[in-house]
This record gives sequence, C-alpha cells and structure tokens, in this order.
Amino acid sequence: MKLKSIFSGLAATALIASLVGCGSGNSSAPSGDQAAGEAEAYPKKQIELIVPYAAGGGTDAVARAFADSANKVLPQSIGVVNKTGGGGAVGMSEGAKAKPDGYKLTLVTVEMTTLPPLGLATFKPDDFKPVARLNADPAAITVSADAPWNTIEEFVAYAKENPGKVRIGNSGTGAIWHLAATALEQKIDTKFNHIPFDGANPAVTALLGGHIEAVSVSPAEVAAQVEAGKLKMLAVMADERLPKFKDVPTMKEKGIDLSIGTWRGIAVPKDTPDNVVTVLKDAAKKVTEDKAFTDVLEKMNLGVSYADDAAFSEAVKKDSELFTKLVSDLGLKK
Amino acid sequence: MFDLFVNGLTNILTDPFALLMAVVGVIIGIVVGALPGLTATMGVALILPMTFGMEPVAGLLLLSGVYFGGVYGGSITAILLKTPGTPAAAATALDGYALAQKGMAGKALGAATLSSSIGGTISIIILMFLSPVLATIALEFSAPETFALAVFGLSIIASISGKSLVKGLIAGLVGLLLATVGLDPILGFPRFTGGSEQLLNGVPFIPIMIGLFAASEAFKSLSDMNVKEKVKVKIEKIVPSWGEFRGIIPTILRSTGLGTFIGIIPGAGADIAAFVAYNETKRFNKDKEPTDKSRMAGVAACESGANACTGGALVPLLTLGIPGDAVTAVMLGALMVQGLQPGPLLFKNNGDLVYTLFIGMIICYVVMCLLGLFTARYFAKVVQIPKEILTPVILVLCIVGSYAINNSFFDVLIMAVAGVIGFFMQKHDFPASPIVLALILGPMAESQFRRALALSSGSYDIFYTRPIPLILLLLSVITLLTPIVKAIWQQRKRAHQ
Repeated sequence: MKLKSIFSGLAATALIASLVGCGSGNSSAPSGDQAAGEAEAYPKKQIELIVPYAAGGGTDAVARAFADSANKVLPQSIGVVNKTGGGGAVGMSEGAKAKPDGYKLTLVTVEMTTLPPLGLATFKPDDFKPVARLNADPAAITVSADAPWNTIEEFVAYAKENPGKVRIGNSGTGAIWHLAATALEQKIDTKFNHIPFDGANPAVTALLGGHIEAVSVSPAEVAAQVEAGKLKMLAVMADERLPKFKDVPTMKEKGIDLSIGTWRGIAVPKDTPDNVVTVLKDAAKKVTEDKAFTDVLEKMNLGVSYADDAAFSEAVKKDSELFTKLVSDLGLKK
Repeated sequence: MFDLFVNGLTNILTDPFALLMAVVGVIIGIVVGALPGLTATMGVALILPMTFGMEPVAGLLLLSGVYFGGVYGGSITAILLKTPGTPAAAATALDGYALAQKGMAGKALGAATLSSSIGGTISIIILMFLSPVLATIALEFSAPETFALAVFGLSIIASISGKSLVKGLIAGLVGLLLATVGLDPILGFPRFTGGSEQLLNGVPFIPIMIGLFAASEAFKSLSDMNVKEKVKVKIEKIVPSWGEFRGIIPTILRSTGLGTFIGIIPGAGADIAAFVAYNETKRFNKDKEPTDKSRMAGVAACESGANACTGGALVPLLTLGIPGDAVTAVMLGALMVQGLQPGPLLFKNNGDLVYTLFIGMIICYVVMCLLGLFTARYFAKVVQIPKEILTPVILVLCIVGSYAINNSFFDVLIMAVAGVIGFFMQKHDFPASPIVLALILGPMAESQFRRALALSSGSYDIFYTRPIPLILLLLSVITLLTPIVKAIWQQRKRAHQ
C-alpha cells in the first residue's frame, strides 16, 4: 500500500518533469526534424557550462546570466557548474580536455592567456576554440581623491621623477591588473612598487585607507568610490572612453598606446565541429542582445562586449602574444 | 534617525512576503550551516540567483537569513556530532561536544541558540547606529595590522591545546607547514604542490577540518563499537535557567563586542571571531579544570562571537562598498543586482530601504532564536541514536560534504587522510583545533607580513611604529607566555615548600 503510493508519486513526478522538459524544449526551438542528420541535432541534451571561479563572484554572475538567457534561445538548457582552484586553472583545464561535442562549455576569462605563460596551467590557449566574447573591461589607473595628481600626465610625470615611489595595488602577482600596471611602467619607462593583494577589493580598500598611491583594477571595482568622490579615475586602458565614465580619457588619447583588460567569453575544446560552434555563437549573440542579460551586467558595472568566434579568436591571439612577452620580460615564469 | 527606524518597522511589517523570505532564509541557512562542507558563503551564493527577480527587501532578507542561519547552524552538528558544519563551529565543538557527551546536549544547544541570536542582534543594532564611525576602523587596518591580528589569533593555540601545550604547539606548527602548500601568496610561485593543479590553491581547509573533527570521531566510535555505553543519554531542559543564563551574560556581551570588531576588519571573519572570543573567555575563567559552567560559557563565547561578526562584516560593505570576506563579497553582488550601490552614497540615496533591511535582519535573528529553541529538543535526540546507525551516517555526511565544496573527489581523499591522521592524534592526545586555526591564520599572517614589507620597502619599522600592530603583537606574546610562566611559578612554589 505504502510502496504503491510512493511509486505513483514517483510516476507523477516523472510525468511532470517530462512535461516541463518538453514544454521548455518546444516553446523556443524550431521543431526538430527527426530525420535530419546528426549535425543538425545539436543540442540534444543538457549542456554543462564550467565556471572556473567560485559561485557568487563576477564571472559566476556573467555565467549564470548567460545560462538564463541562453535557455530562452536554445532548445536545451545550460547548467552552470563551478570548478574552482588554481586561480581558474583547474576549471579551464577540465574544459580544455572535455569531449569536443559541445556539451561541456567553458566560461573562459583573460586568465586563459595569462596562466599558460606563467607556467601555472596544463592547458594552452590553443586547446580552446573561442566561440563568443560576452564582456570586456579595461584596466584603469585610479588614485585617491586628495592625491596631488589630477591628470594621467601629472601622475606619469611624478612616477618618472620618483621611480619605485608609487605603490600601485593589484589583485595578485601575475593577475591581469598586475600585468596592466607592468605594461604601463614599461611604456613610460619607470618603476612602480607593485603591491599584490588577495583580489581587487582589498587593493581598493588599501587605497581608500591611504596605504598605497594607486590601483590598476577595472572601473567596475572602483565605481562606487569614484561616484562618491573618494577616488578619482585618471585614465582607462581601452580603445574608447567608457559610456559610464565619459570624462575619463583613454591612455591612447594621451599618447600611451595601451589597451589591456579582462574579458569573459564562451569557449569549447579545439576539435569541436563547426556546426556546434555556429549554434552556440548565434545563441551568444542573441544573449548579449537580451535585456535580462545586459541588465545584470550593467548593474554589476560590467561592460557588455560581444565578439563572434573569428573576432574573439583574434583578440585571444593578440592577448596571448602580449602576455607571453610581458611575462618573459618580467621573469615571472615559474 | 528615529523616523527612519519607525518607517523601516512599518515597511517590513506590511510586507508579508519579505517576512516569509526572512523565515525561509533562516531555515535554509540553518540546514546549510549544519551540513559539513556547505558553508554560509556557499548557501548565500547558491540562493543568490533566486533573488534576482524579487523586490530588493525580500531578496536581501532571504540572503541575510541564509547568511545568519548558516553561521549559527554549524553549531548544531558541532555540539551533537563533533562535526563542525562551518569553520567557526570548530571552536564551538571544543566545549559543546563535551557537554553533549555528558548528556547536556539540549542545554548546550539552547545556550548556543540564545547567544547566537543575542550576539547577532546586538551587532545589527551597532551596525544601524555606529556604522559610519566604525567604518574608519576597516580603513585603518592595513597589512601590518592584519598581520598582527593573525599572530594574535595564532597565540590562541596556547589556550586550545588541552592537556599539553607542547602537543598543541606541535599540532599548530604542522598546520602552519600545511598552510605553506600552494601558490606563494605574494609572488605566485607554486610551493610543495608536486605539480598538482588541485594543490595550487593550497591544502583545502574545510576537508581537513571535516576529517580531523568528524571523520576521526567516527573512526573512534567504530573502533569501540562493542563497548556498551552505561550512561543513557537523557535530554533535559533546552532553555537554560535564569541562573545559568545570567552566568553567561558577561561572556555574551564581551564576545559580541569582539565579534563585531573582528567582523569589521577586512579579511577576518566568523571563524577567527569564534576562536578569539573563546580564548578571551578562557582567559577570564579562573577555574582550573573545565566545569559544565565554564563549558557553557565557552559555547556561548564562540556562538555570540561568530554571529556578531555578521553585523560587523556588513559595516564596511554598506558604508564603504568593500566586502571584508567571502559572504559579503557575494552580498555585494546581490545588492548591486538589486540596483543598490553599496558605498558612501547608499545611506543617502536609499536610507529608507536600508533601515527596512536592518529591522528585517533583527527579525531574522528573532526567528532564528525561536526556531532554534523549538527544534533543539528534536535535534538533541540525535545523541540517542545508536552508534551503529549514527556512525555510518556521519561518514556519509563527511564524504558528501567534502565533495560538495569544489565538486572534487580530490577533496574527499584529503578528508579521508585527515580523518585517519586525526584518529591517531586523538589516541595520543594531540588536539586537532590548533591545526584548523593554523590553516585559517597561517596564510593570512604570511601574506600580510610580506605585503607589509612591500609597503614599507623592506623596513621592519612598520610593525612597531604603528599603534595597533604593536599592541596586538605584545598581547600575543603575553598570551603565549602566560601558561609557561604560570608553570614555572608553580614549580618554584612547590620547590620552596
């Protein structure tokens, strides 16, 4: 009697689950032709998206917003799995070594191009086939509001006169903001005193407390303080000025040819067939136009920046070359 | 100020959905906290996406409930099963489990619930009225200050060593050595990883804790499974009597102050607060042998200290926009997704909402107190379950818990190894908590020490020319030396007689 009721309960649950599954499958997808070849059938089952960073962080937020929006345009849902460790190396290694069938995607970040030259990863950037970039944020030079420098020129001039005096905080040795500050120091031919912190937030805290002179982290990480007038952003390392900070010049405007920043995108193992990449790329494009996705990024002060597989691959290649050279110049390779 | 307070109260009381979310959050939090491996941070991170579609107050109260409940929930399993659900509860297990073994599980749970709720509530009230003033403390704390705090925390090993200080120090040093595995915190060079990617982030700390405390205890009960217990555990009253409660009030107040203060400091969280509060309680306790009363105070200290940390950690988050620890980093994301930018402008732009939240948070703690007291009676029954059933269940929990942290089987292996080592440590009277403490504080001490030297361009003056590091370092020397000086003093006295 009892057993029977459990079974009927289970059956009912299974029925509901299958109905729900069918419902979501049919609502948005073009009705799949059973006779169509294997190639057209992607995706046939749930897709896994590996996030190489912890739940709750910025990368995780982008991944979950992507998965939510992609579920509206793909016939199968995307499940987010956090695989943390090694500053992203663990998750990205797993993604690079996954079966190239398009059912295990990786949310790759700029660390995909910095970890290998640093000798901290068992994968190479070439192990991935970039599918689409979703977001990009430049490095920015930010100082305390009561600092004596009001422009990037004044800051650069001071740094050149006083090599080693300017303490510039970053989010960890070899992390993207450290490399950005190092690239700046090479370009203007001086020396900073690089102070590595355990993430960008502690660096900003130290800047607020007056323990360091500047930070090289992204605008998102200092936005609240800049808006409140506690910090001032002197320049961004982007090609164009940011919509949110219209009056902050780019380095390029000031004659310092630097464009460095972080980015996040979707990548698959390099042997993944092209039709899979096309499906995912088109989905990613729709996602970056979806208001639900752009809203989440905007509220977190993250910049939406779509690039298709060709443009994204090009950008990855460029960064990879730049960082490989920077790391070997600095002698940071392990 | 007062009208904001009244506004907040009416807002929250006329919003049944937000109240419901507060209750739901606390329940989820307690469950998440009680399970080993699932920490408050993870609970908040997992619930976060569900709040995106909610109104700000309801969504944020759901997360606050999970946060508060998660910090408290760890104590339940720590007291009953010696399985700390969260790192902070590792301190609670020290005295709580001893009480449960003596048949006082109910009272220990009651004391933990009351002190958690009181500590948390007071810390929210402090947050409400003093946050702009206290926020400056967070900015004062730079690398040398945090280094000194970590050293002070390490000196606590002296008071949690149990019978033998030497064995405690040995365990602490082993912990410090283990803490050096992984990426060098300043230069990013891999140390002692044997080429393993999994070890780049260091030895995973929570699996070690689960292994040392829970798995080793399970192994121990496996090894004496045939010994019939003579004492039948009986559950008496849950709510401590007025006399007992009055005895722990000073402890709760002192620990709440310490917890709130430590919560404000960036990088220091509930785990450190619990151990520091425990240590100070032992310092003020005159009894030589631990009594039930002093054990009760120990539980109260850890729990009020850990939960007071919640209000403290929210101070720099809300007033400066800087998260001090992992949970508040997730909360930062939650606030921003709701369109609230934490920072100097939050109170000006969204004062009404912020005070509604504060009142809601106090309600979370009231709910937690009631839930805790009502359910403690049933939870406490766990100790009556026969060992033959309970032990395998604990081992399953250990495996699931250590797997769940990173979805990694590697962590399960680490837990199992730590469990076997912990079993033999217990047999030979080596305390486990110094290892846990060293794993929490070792990396912090090292990275802040080296960061301080980077800030001062290599000069050691930075450690004694600033007031806070100087005081904290002196305090640590006193804490470490007290037991040794005492021992020598007593020996001399004996020699004279």
